[in-house]
Amino acid sequence: MTTLPIQDASAAEVHPRKISRKATGADKVFVSSIRVVGSVVLVITGGVGVFLGWQALPTLRHYGFGFFTEAAWQPEADVVGIAAVLTGTVLVAMVAMSIAFPLALITALYISEYAPARMRSVLVSLVDLMAAVPSIIWGLWGSYLIMEHAAGLAMWLDRNLGFIPFFQVKDADPNAGVPMLSRYSFSMFVAGIAVAMMVLPMACAVMRQVFSQTPQGEKEAALALGATRWGMVRSVVLPFGRGGIIGGAMLGLGRALGETIAVLLILSPSFEVKPRILEIGGNTVSALIAGRFGDASSSQLSALLAAGFVLFLITLVVNTIAATIVNRSRSGAGTDA
Amino acid sequence: MIRPVRVATRALVAIALAMTFLVGASTSAHATVYAQIEGTGSTWSELIVQQWIADVDANGMKVVYTGGGSTKGRKDFSQDSTDFAISEIPYQGTDERGQADTSNGREFAYLPIVAGGTAFTYQLKIGNDLVRNLRLSGETLAKIFTNQITNWNDPAIAKDNNGRKFPSLPVIPVVRSDGSGTTAQFTTWMDKQYPNIWRPYFGQAGLTSYYPKKGDRMVSQAGSDQVMNTIKGFAGNGMIGYVEYSYPINANYPVVKVENKAGYFVEPTQYNTAVALTKAKINQDKSSQLYLTQILDGVYSNPDPRAYPISSYSYMIIPTGAQDPRMSTAKRQTLADFMYYSLCAGQTKAGAYGYSSLPLNLVQAGFQQLAKLKTADPKVDLTDRDVRSCNNPTFDGKNLNKNVLAETAPQPAACDKVGAGPCGTDTGTGKPSTDDNTAGNGGATGGTGGGQGGGVDTGGTGQAPGSDTPPSVDPETGAVTGGDTTTTTTGDAIYANPTELVAGRTSDQRTFGWLAVLELLALVLLPGLYVATLRRRRGQTGARS
Repeated sequence: MTTLPIQDASAAEVHPRKISRKATGADKVFVSSIRVVGSVVLVITGGVGVFLGWQALPTLRHYGFGFFTEAAWQPEADVVGIAAVLTGTVLVAMVAMSIAFPLALITALYISEYAPARMRSVLVSLVDLMAAVPSIIWGLWGSYLIMEHAAGLAMWLDRNLGFIPFFQVKDADPNAGVPMLSRYSFSMFVAGIAVAMMVLPMACAVMRQVFSQTPQGEKEAALALGATRWGMVRSVVLPFGRGGIIGGAMLGLGRALGETIAVLLILSPSFEVKPRILEIGGNTVSALIAGRFGDASSSQLSALLAAGFVLFLITLVVNTIAATIVNRSRSGAGTDA
Repeated sequence: MIRPVRVATRALVAIALAMTFLVGASTSAHATVYAQIEGTGSTWSELIVQQWIADVDANGMKVVYTGGGSTKGRKDFSQDSTDFAISEIPYQGTDERGQADTSNGREFAYLPIVAGGTAFTYQLKIGNDLVRNLRLSGETLAKIFTNQITNWNDPAIAKDNNGRKFPSLPVIPVVRSDGSGTTAQFTTWMDKQYPNIWRPYFGQAGLTSYYPKKGDRMVSQAGSDQVMNTIKGFAGNGMIGYVEYSYPINANYPVVKVENKAGYFVEPTQYNTAVALTKAKINQDKSSQLYLTQILDGVYSNPDPRAYPISSYSYMIIPTGAQDPRMSTAKRQTLADFMYYSLCAGQTKAGAYGYSSLPLNLVQAGFQQLAKLKTADPKVDLTDRDVRSCNNPTFDGKNLNKNVLAETAPQPAACDKVGAGPCGTDTGTGKPSTDDNTAGNGGATGGTGGGQGGGVDTGGTGQAPGSDTPPSVDPETGAVTGGDTTTTTTGDAIYANPTELVAGRTSDQRTFGWLAVLELLALVLLPGLYVATLRRRRGQTGARS
């Protein structure tokens, strides 16, 4: 029961109060400072791009389009190109994704849908712990613990699936009495395994987040209609989280493309465009930069930065697409909820 | 909950207090003020430098050294980002890539720090036994690293080993992927001694810090430690690479005995390196920027039967400018005292670590170079620095012109001569292979192996090396059937009996491949399916009852 104040009807000049959307006082300070902080991020990212592009300009001008088609990296012979390192980067990332994607997806599904509530937080922190392991540790893990067994697996793949160009290994006989294990080690495959372990927690975290946002009502509706747990996951959780799955995978891909130290530790650098991921040798853009940066002269540095510029653009595009997809899925556009 | 926290805080406070007291005590004990100095460069000499750093740490000197290769060391120094550099070769002016390789105007001096031999370490197995007494001539080595010899059963390798054959196994050279002084020393040697082999491969004359990797077989790795790890790794069978002798010693891995001009196969022990380097030509022109740098032609062709041909000195590059942007009195003092220790007492450790001590004349010259730090900054204290008081194994206290290490170096064993042997002695132990001090050859080898090998089965059979017959090999399994089948790597030489085994029948491949795929699928799927059926059955019975 509220009583309205009695309006004085005689007051002739009644104007509606002016409503300003402009912030005043403390709000104004807050808004402008937040705006500055936000734009600093843009300025930094843009600055990196401009710097790399500026540094890369002489190289790109000198080598022209050949910079993208030449495989060799021999600054001493004035032959420099990123065809080999770019394919290497993509192949390592592909190996990493083909291992990390199914693992991340299944882990995320298990944690969000199947795991008992008590275990859930433990599992989440365990996966997050994987992300906290420094990449040099993954590199050591890959080269000292995994490589030996990966070489055996690589040999098996070559023996049985060697007719596929990806699994071919040149100059090595997988059936030899004393197999040449060195041909099957230090490969993009082993590097990809190490990178996969770094990609996994990131992709898993994004997917889990999106799965947990599935509307509870729809899930319960599916169960009420007689769906099994798997049926519910298939008909509700997965369609709802499709954007998150793709976005998480692409964010992981962005990281896989740029992974450096682990790759540098494992790969024996070689400059050759080849699909044979099980074979020794290969290189990625970031490993090339890390390996050659220490003793590069100014013109070599420019060439390295040009390679870095290309990598920067690729990862920027991949990450932007990923962010867009994740954002769209967060609004629940995939469902009618 | 409160009590443990309180106890913990109290303990922490106590520790912190104790630490401050300790620090206070250690700083007050020294009159001289030290500051941390940093350097980068050679991985060739890194092991001994790190040992010296650990030694001087107790005296309050903080030195940080990171490898990364000589090229990186020189470059970092020229960019004023380090206080010193260690490099195998001097600034080249223009490097082989046509880029400037200078100090960028920073004033510096070269200072020899240690001697050593560039060794060739390898993993070569016959059955399960690691070959530990491989010997190769320089020409064979040059051909191996230029892709001309590609298999261990090559007749040239058998000839170097006096007819001893090795299994048919591809030779995989392991080279450095980064700019490296070790590569520079190795390629200098090839360029000077075997230009007909090296130059067509390299495409030009001269040395290079970046090994030109050609062909698919070669493996390239960054840093000496990575090269060593790769060779001794699980995939290392058939690999051979070049590193300083200390790395194989550290890893208990064998090294190649390299043939010298006198026709003996020798290992780069401290003695053989010291003997070889007596013929090194040192630049004596004090006005030259290259003062004290080495010209090694005489070393490569040293006619002494004890000389290891690929021996060299490693150099530190110290900043000598009075206006040097990075240096302060405290830093100069640290550098001077660190190097005083390294050149004097530190040299006694060289032999045990796989290096060789500097001779007197170089230590003396090194002191003169260090004196330039005082010239740059008069506040640096260099009193009480006398070469005579140095405890260096190459010095003779009475006659300063004698090199004791080179004079006491034992003569090589008779079985190390071309056309004799091969000796059964293990390499990579730091002990010289010699006939001295014992009567029998076999007895001597047993003793050496036992002293160094630790848990290795020393055998001590006393057999004359080279006299035993090769054990027969089962043609089906490849296992050694006759003779001694236990894994002995010492005592006597291992012989290969090259047998080619027929690999699996190709017709089986596809069938077994699919079978394997099916089995893998079954492994993954069957347990789940089994559980599912079990549950369904239980559900049905539950519904019925």
